[in-house]
Amino acid sequence: MRRFLRIYLPFSKAGMQEMMAYRFNFIFHLIGEMLSCFVMYFVWLAVFESSDSSTFMGFSMVDMTVYLFISFMASFLTYSDGAINIGEEIRDGSIVMRMIKPVNFDMYLLFHELGSRFVSIFIVLVPMSVGVELYKFFVTGSVMFSLPNFALFSVSIIIAYLVSFYFNVCYGFLAFFLKNLWGSSVLKDAIISFLSGAKIPLAFMPPALAAVLTVLPFASLSYTPVMLYMGIYDAPQIIWSLSLQLFWLVFFWGLSKLIWRLAMKRLCVQGG
Amino acid sequence: MIYVENIRKEFKKTIKQPGLLGSVKSLFNPKTEKVVAVDDISFHVPKGEILGFIGPNGAGKSTVIKMLTGILTPSAGLCTINGKNPQKNRKSYVKEIGVVFGQRTQLWWDLPLCETYAVLKEIYEVEDSAYKRKMDLLNEVLDLQDFIKSPVRTLSLGQRMRADIAASLLHSPKVLFLDEPTIGLDVVVKDNIRRAIAKINEEEQTTVILTTHDLSDIELLSKRIVMIDKGKNVFDGTVDELKKNYGQMRELHFELAGDSSLESLAYKEKFGFSDDDINIKREGVKATVRFNSDIVPVGDMLSYTLSGVHISDISVKDADIEEIIRRLYKKEVSADA
Ligand SMILES: Nc1ncnc2c1ncn2[C@@H]1O[C@H](COP(=O)(O)OP(=O)(O)O)[C@@H](O)[C@H]1O
Ligand SMILES: [Mg+2]
Repeated sequence: MRRFLRIYLPFSKAGMQEMMAYRFNFIFHLIGEMLSCFVMYFVWLAVFESSDSSTFMGFSMVDMTVYLFISFMASFLTYSDGAINIGEEIRDGSIVMRMIKPVNFDMYLLFHELGSRFVSIFIVLVPMSVGVELYKFFVTGSVMFSLPNFALFSVSIIIAYLVSFYFNVCYGFLAFFLKNLWGSSVLKDAIISFLSGAKIPLAFMPPALAAVLTVLPFASLSYTPVMLYMGIYDAPQIIWSLSLQLFWLVFFWGLSKLIWRLAMKRLCVQGG
Repeated sequence: MIYVENIRKEFKKTIKQPGLLGSVKSLFNPKTEKVVAVDDISFHVPKGEILGFIGPNGAGKSTVIKMLTGILTPSAGLCTINGKNPQKNRKSYVKEIGVVFGQRTQLWWDLPLCETYAVLKEIYEVEDSAYKRKMDLLNEVLDLQDFIKSPVRTLSLGQRMRADIAASLLHSPKVLFLDEPTIGLDVVVKDNIRRAIAKINEEEQTTVILTTHDLSDIELLSKRIVMIDKGKNVFDGTVDELKKNYGQMRELHFELAGDSSLESLAYKEKFGFSDDDINIKREGVKATVRFNSDIVPVGDMLSYTLSGVHISDISVKDADIEEIIRRLYKKEVSADA
């Protein structure tokens, strides 16, 4: 284990340094996302004020606000693009340099990305959750922070990040094979953000669609951790949704290994 | 140490069809064309030898190296290195070898060089003391100190290449594969790299396979050559054998005295040389006549020259292997056409 960390931690360090070098990009990006979050907040505020009841599909305005900001935080924390270039590497042949070293390609990518994630945990997680809790306190007048819920959320968000990471490894390979067919990752990110319930709670969707989307891997990316944070699920639901997350993690991990194998098999490295 | 038996590599090249529809079509029903890059090559390299692996562009050298390093799987044939099959136990196999591709780097782009080496030390499980000794040695021959703290992406080509060579040697590999390690480098760096290879080979009996365009690499480093062309083996033997078998070319160097003119010698007419067999150059009073000694013995050539013009100084030289190989390549091409 110590050896494992000694091998991969330097990559985290490098990832962190890179992140610091691009910190302004990061901060502006963050501000932009925050603004769109506030826009959504005002949209929902208008919806609630114009309706007669104080709840909408079981969500109060406080719930809605918590949902908005926590799911924003969840999708921010689980965003992964460390593997986006893997297809490109196969194409230009630089992937061979990963093959002549006894290192796991995914661990390298993972630790590199974790380095930059580490920074965003401090910039995003702490202020966001403190902010949300303060908001709840001011609006409702009571402290509602639940440590068990936060613990469940933390476990869930770590799994969600790993699902996201391995999903994107698979996507990276796929983007190579389907280069012309499946366009930019902006489109992918938009689709995922919809399917994962990051923009609209899955509970608001038609029951049949919601049922399908909850089982699909996308819900594991942000909906599940948010539900756990909000303490909406009961015990069986918690166990079910965490198991589902784990299932998808194993699934995409296995799939990425399989694709890697296949790619290695039919690898035709260009030139040299 | 290294046994290569009848290896062959065919590539399927997909023929790209134009347009979006074309790419959809080639996704489901790709049209392919077979390219034979390596065609039945065999050779054997004993432990501690430096083998020069040469051939013109596109001959298949890199493809052979990629099969030997486990990156590509041969379509047919077998290679065994250290008793291992590179394709079968890749992870344990790559621990015992060092690889450098001149056109690519194995260093991690965003790590400082010293961190890269620290990571490699862990990956290959190198002992602290062995690591220290090795770094000192590599530092000495490759002059790494000046840039050891810089991130790899900021290094110049020459620095990067030296760093790459060092990275491939850190774990004392039993076999070292070098694919064009001196490409695009200046003389000083080339010399650095050659010294590093020679030193490691001498101190650790590392077996080395080296492909190159620069024949001085071969002349300075290796006693044995395997030459391939169009995927086929065309020569396998020592440099001396190559010179003996194909080295009929000799060079006559002399200085003309007085107002003698070379034209009066008319070698071609006298001995019936073809264009390939003779080459005359003149710079001021200095003349170089390169000729095929199979057609005219050196003695005859000397006495004819001496009787024809006034000469102040004369010497005879073997042709260098560069010349021999240039002729060999040419022969292959013309035999084929
Ligand atoms: N991935 C590939 N797909 C198709 N053809 C290839 C591929 N890699 C190499 N080739 C072909 O194989 C031949 C040998 O290439 P290579 O081994 O790179 O030659 P060298 O290193 O001797 O210059 C060339 O004709 C090249 O075009
Ligand atoms: Mg090559």
